[in-house]
Amino acid sequence: MMKYKLFLFLIWCHGMNGSAQTPQELIAKVNKNFNGVKDYSADLMMNFSIPGVNIEPMAGKVFYKQPDKFRVRTKGIVFLPKQNPYYALALLKDTDAYTAVSGGMEEIQAVNCSVINIIPSKENDLILGKFWIDAANGLVIKSQLTTKSNGTVSIENTFGSMRTFALPDKIVFTIDVAKFKVPKAVAVDLNSKSAPKSGGNPKGTGIISLQFSKYVLNKKMTDDVFKD
Amino acid sequence: MINLIKLELFKIVTKPRSYLGFLAITVVVILIQFAFYVDGKQYIEFIFQALQNSFQIEGNILNGSLICFIILQMLIIQMPLLVALVTGDLVSGEAASGTIRLLLSKTYSRGQILWAKFIAGNIYTFALILWLGILALGIGLWVFGTGDLVVLKSDELVILRADDVIWRFLGAFFVAFFSLSVITTFSLMLSCFADNSITPIVASMSVIIIFTIIGTLDVQLFDTIKPALFTTHMIIWRNLFDNPLPTSQIVTSFAILFGHIVLFLSVAFWHFKRKDIQN
Repeated sequence: MMKYKLFLFLIWCHGMNGSAQTPQELIAKVNKNFNGVKDYSADLMMNFSIPGVNIEPMAGKVFYKQPDKFRVRTKGIVFLPKQNPYYALALLKDTDAYTAVSGGMEEIQAVNCSVINIIPSKENDLILGKFWIDAANGLVIKSQLTTKSNGTVSIENTFGSMRTFALPDKIVFTIDVAKFKVPKAVAVDLNSKSAPKSGGNPKGTGIISLQFSKYVLNKKMTDDVFKD
Repeated sequence: MINLIKLELFKIVTKPRSYLGFLAITVVVILIQFAFYVDGKQYIEFIFQALQNSFQIEGNILNGSLICFIILQMLIIQMPLLVALVTGDLVSGEAASGTIRLLLSKTYSRGQILWAKFIAGNIYTFALILWLGILALGIGLWVFGTGDLVVLKSDELVILRADDVIWRFLGAFFVAFFSLSVITTFSLMLSCFADNSITPIVASMSVIIIFTIIGTLDVQLFDTIKPALFTTHMIIWRNLFDNPLPTSQIVTSFAILFGHIVLFLSVAFWHFKRKDIQN
């Protein structure tokens, strides 16, 4: 009986250890990490897998400035998520705007993550936010945002050399996409015949992958770069 | 032979109907360009509305390459009619006016005369395509600027990078010329059989319209016929804007079109050399 009680106590201790920090403490850690970055620019490589869109990878340059200015500059046409990659982090900053609830532990990218659910307390475009946070380093490994305007968007970050600034090497967006269809007369595609597609992602989810390199931090960027 | 070709070109140039094609192309291209200049953004928004719900689309979509592509889609279907209007008259027109007896009384062989008419007809077709290229691509790029090309398909968008577009357009214009060359040969062949201008022109136009309708109808019954119709392969210029390039499909269509040219030209030669000139 004694051994059984000891076993239960150890399991409880293990559970407590993983979620030793409260959601608020974890969020504060994430915010602190990212607050060190006032602005940055970086080289960007974009890959796309969007149902009904055949588009090749594109290189570009990305610019960010606190609190929420984000701009991608490219020479061609690109498809980007409607929300900028730091929308989730910007949400977390206003700690009065939501209620954070712990959702246990999950392993993402071989990292044991604390799951935190964010429920907005004010009328907001966001319906629900779910964050997988690397508690040890204060990094958001994955987030899932359900908004009124854009459905569900999943954002997965892979950190490398810039992890101390909470800047990812790679961000992968997974976005719900409606089936793309244009009337034949509008597309003036009168002689086409529907054929099964060989490429692309047929599941109705678009995947955009942003690969960052050559970060340049805190150079007191002007706002000109964000203008059209 | 060169003199004979020059003579045939002179005949084409002096006929008012030869300018109808140029006029029609000019009016249609300028109308489309003007419409897109004024209202193009709404057209783009309509096409992209499903994607714009999920994505922010960056870059200049409404550029000269897109306008040129739309013009080609709209106009290349109609261009065979403009070509047939002139080339369907090359032999039968002379038979109707009585000048063919004079022509055949010269030192040139019937074969040489038909070759000259065939080459002159193709030069006219080339000039039409060149004019289309200058207006659609040249003015399009000048007015709307350069950029990536969004190839519009009813169930897919293909986005081609700006530096990958011009050679595709040049290829598309060449393929369009080659396709129209089939029409040139076909109407020339019909022209050899007729003694009036109207019959081969109307017959050519009718065949093109019927074949195009059969090609457009998504009915299983026609699926076996479609590969044999030259109109099916005349739209291979569009395949030049696919990514990756369907090379074998393009080569096959090219071979079939070439086969049609050889067939029509052979029939034309066979008949013209034996033709009994009665007027």
